[in-house]
Amino acid sequence: MVDNAPVLPQRWSSRQRQRAVFAALIAVEILLLVFVGTRLVQVQAVEDYREVVGDQETIYLRNEVVGDPALVALLVLGIALPLASRRLRREPVLLVAVQLAIEALIMFVLWPLAKVFVEGFKAGQFVEGFSLVQFRTLFQMPMVVRATKNTMVIGVTTAFLSTLIGTLVAYTLTLTDVPWRRWLRNLVVLPLISPPFAVSFAIILLFGRRGVITYDLLGIKDYTIYGPQGIIFVQLISTIPLSVLIISAVFASMSRDLEEAAEDLGGHPLYVLRTVTFPLVTPAILTSVLLSFIGSISDFGNPMLIGGGYQMLATQAFIQMIEMFDLQLGAALGMLLIIPSLLAFLLQHRITSRRSYVTVTGGARTGHVRKLPAWIKWPLFGLCVFLAAFNVVLYGSIFVGAAVKTWGFDYTLTLDNVRGLLTSVPMLKNSMIVAISAGILGGLVSIFLAWLIGRQKFPGRAALDFSATMMQAIPGTVVGIGYILAYNAAPYFWTGTFFIIIVAYIFRRLPVGLRTGIAAQKQIDPSLEEASLDLGASRLRTFTHITFPLLSRAFFAGVIYIFIRAMTDLSAAVFLNSGRTQLFTVRMFRIMVTSTPSEAAAFAALLIVIIIISLGVLSKVTGKSFVDLFRI
Amino acid sequence: MSEAFSTASIILQDLHKHFGLVKAVDGISLEVEAGTLVCLLGPSGCGKTTTLRMIGGFEEPTAGQILIGGDDVTRMPPYARPTAMVFQNYALFPHMSVYDNVAYGLRARRRPKAEVDKLAREALDLMELPGQEKKSPPQLSGGQQQRVALARALVIRPKVLLFDEPLSNLDAKLRVRMRGEIRALQRRLGITSVYVTHDQEEAFSIADRVAIMNAGKLIQLGTPRELYSEPADRFVADFVGVSNIVPVEVVDSAADGATVRVFGQTIRSRRPPSNPGGQVSVVLRPEALRVEKTADGGVPARVLTLAFTGPLLRYTVAVDDGTVLAVDLPNPDPDHFFAEGTPVSVLLPAEVPALLG
Repeated sequence: MVDNAPVLPQRWSSRQRQRAVFAALIAVEILLLVFVGTRLVQVQAVEDYREVVGDQETIYLRNEVVGDPALVALLVLGIALPLASRRLRREPVLLVAVQLAIEALIMFVLWPLAKVFVEGFKAGQFVEGFSLVQFRTLFQMPMVVRATKNTMVIGVTTAFLSTLIGTLVAYTLTLTDVPWRRWLRNLVVLPLISPPFAVSFAIILLFGRRGVITYDLLGIKDYTIYGPQGIIFVQLISTIPLSVLIISAVFASMSRDLEEAAEDLGGHPLYVLRTVTFPLVTPAILTSVLLSFIGSISDFGNPMLIGGGYQMLATQAFIQMIEMFDLQLGAALGMLLIIPSLLAFLLQHRITSRRSYVTVTGGARTGHVRKLPAWIKWPLFGLCVFLAAFNVVLYGSIFVGAAVKTWGFDYTLTLDNVRGLLTSVPMLKNSMIVAISAGILGGLVSIFLAWLIGRQKFPGRAALDFSATMMQAIPGTVVGIGYILAYNAAPYFWTGTFFIIIVAYIFRRLPVGLRTGIAAQKQIDPSLEEASLDLGASRLRTFTHITFPLLSRAFFAGVIYIFIRAMTDLSAAVFLNSGRTQLFTVRMFRIMVTSTPSEAAAFAALLIVIIIISLGVLSKVTGKSFVDLFRI
Repeated sequence: MSEAFSTASIILQDLHKHFGLVKAVDGISLEVEAGTLVCLLGPSGCGKTTTLRMIGGFEEPTAGQILIGGDDVTRMPPYARPTAMVFQNYALFPHMSVYDNVAYGLRARRRPKAEVDKLAREALDLMELPGQEKKSPPQLSGGQQQRVALARALVIRPKVLLFDEPLSNLDAKLRVRMRGEIRALQRRLGITSVYVTHDQEEAFSIADRVAIMNAGKLIQLGTPRELYSEPADRFVADFVGVSNIVPVEVVDSAADGATVRVFGQTIRSRRPPSNPGGQVSVVLRPEALRVEKTADGGVPARVLTLAFTGPLLRYTVAVDDGTVLAVDLPNPDPDHFFAEGTPVSVLLPAEVPALLG
């Protein structure tokens, strides 16, 4: 004890210093909370009742709480909960990081979603308390009942067919030796580069009432593409690329040893397919089903364009919220959309987290070509060629459409449509502002969260990961509705600002950036950072010279992914933009509904060119093909 | 295992495998007698794994024939062959329990449930894995995974067992133990085996015969003793151990042996050189040489380096004509090391088993 005595004072002082830092931190946080709290919750005097005595009118006032006490309570909880962990209390930097992440997710993920539920269970805009009145109203509207049924039919059909075709195409393009695989792979996923509703627009150009193929080529007059068949067709074109990417990633990384071992032990090829190959790709297949289901039920542009009056929940929600301005009914519709999506997400999350086997190991031999009998191989090849050729014709028609006078009637070349784009320059500027800001900020947020979730250890990490990933399962329409409900009124008035749109895009696309970031970090051996520190570099220098360069590819991939998704989004945009912040896609959609096909084609063509250029930049920066970028 | 294994010979006849322009296997003929274990040994890329994969049915030979138990299996798919392979990374199915992994081959053959259960449990017992049935493969240690892979292969009663560098993922101590176990098991069950490795020591300790391969060709097939004492050429001599290969002058050659001169000394070989007219060399094994203080009768040399490994002390010495020799001294006396630069005498063996060339 005596020997240790001289050491003690120093120890105490270091612990005291730590405590001082900690106390200062808590003080600052409390001040911030009080500041934010007083902004979010205010007590206002409102008129209670009037009394007229003679010619004297007395107005009685009462105090009323306005704002969101519940949100403040959540924010306080978000600050307080991490303090319960001793580990976090010892590391102030990590503590603040965790608190920041929790606060951000509460503000921009949980609260808007909660608001959808809160408003959906209200009787009216100014009526407090729980009520099922909205749902009674909804289900008394035959339109809504039909829309619910239609949405499920479209969602399930699309998810099933998209995954089936996606699996076949992914198998053919990763594990067989058919020719032109490189080209086919790029062409099959082409629809990723445009807003989904550009697909139905192009389909109408080709198969519509005056479509080149149906009317001019085949002379069919009595067939209509408008209706559920058209929606399913278009949704398939838009979701197959995603299914192909998700599933081929697994096929490509599957070790061939497993299948060989199974065959070696006496398994006939079909038996091996059933007992080994298929179970190993099951998680990817579920992910594909989930994402194509959510994509097709939340999409709003395609059913509006090609639905021909076929009602879906997303279109109904748009009508109720934007045209009728009935927020509660819109929220109730949003809930009808969110519930199946969340259930599907939870199911998929449960199954894939329990049974995810594809691990990239150094020694595994992967991507082995399977020998297939010709009668299987060539039909599969035909399917891929058909899809690729169809996409080429589809996008070709947009560019041709933009260059002719009036598609369907007058095919003389003209520059008029391109000139028509000049009116949309302000919207293009708006879209660029939003997409670039969302891209860069979203990239930073993704890398920050990936560092927190992928590299650090703290209690509640899984919950944080889950909340950040949950947005993947939320239809874009509901994201729009939730943000309007949460931040439309006092004290925010954020609706119609760039801020709300940017934030919505950042958090909506966070799951992809987060996964990319975590995957990139896993590939960085911690000993690289240790080596840098060991050689005398400071923590800051280590980060700027070692860690960030290694992560920069993931960062840029995240930035451009969010940029492209922001440039092409319509579902959330229609709810969140305003006259002042009108976005290019919204303008383009209106032109498609109201103007000539050729004028609209010019819009779509411009957007596609912008996206192809940004993809070019990306593959220069990261050295990856654009197919890799969309891998989830 | 209660049922006896039926076993079969393997015959490879002029086997070729080309990948594009690369001749991975370039005309291999080899017989593995029933019940024996043959090692395919060679540097990476020599075609040993490709040969094994052709026996298993994973690669189709470009030319040549494969017979197992006299039946031509050259064009037979893997699942129809009486072979079972133990993979380098074990290839255990990650989505199945240990028990399901072991039962896989029986279920694939649609054996009745009771029989599947009985045989799978026997195999697990044989590999000392009871109690592990319900675990999933990633929960097991490397050595246990290795045992599961073996149990899974043995349970289907293969006529031929194939091993593709099965021990390369284990640490050095476990590797030595597992190879002993594999050898004991193979002997006990009397099962014909082909074992691929690039580790000379592993091959020698486990095999009845070793086939040394290089650049797609079979260089020499023989027992470990034959390969070590009578290497067919420089490559084999070099590959089966650190060797000093020194050119010699043939003094006298007859059917019952030869006399050669090297470093001014005379050495007797029990076998004559196969090509007395050409360049003849002698393989001087490091452990057959000795260094002593400068004395008459030895070859004068100087110590270049010394490395002490515990059981051995390895000197490299330079003979006066510039030739560098490695000399291994077993049981070294710690008080009598020769420092670098010390002049010494190298004592050559009086007799060697054979000559090169």
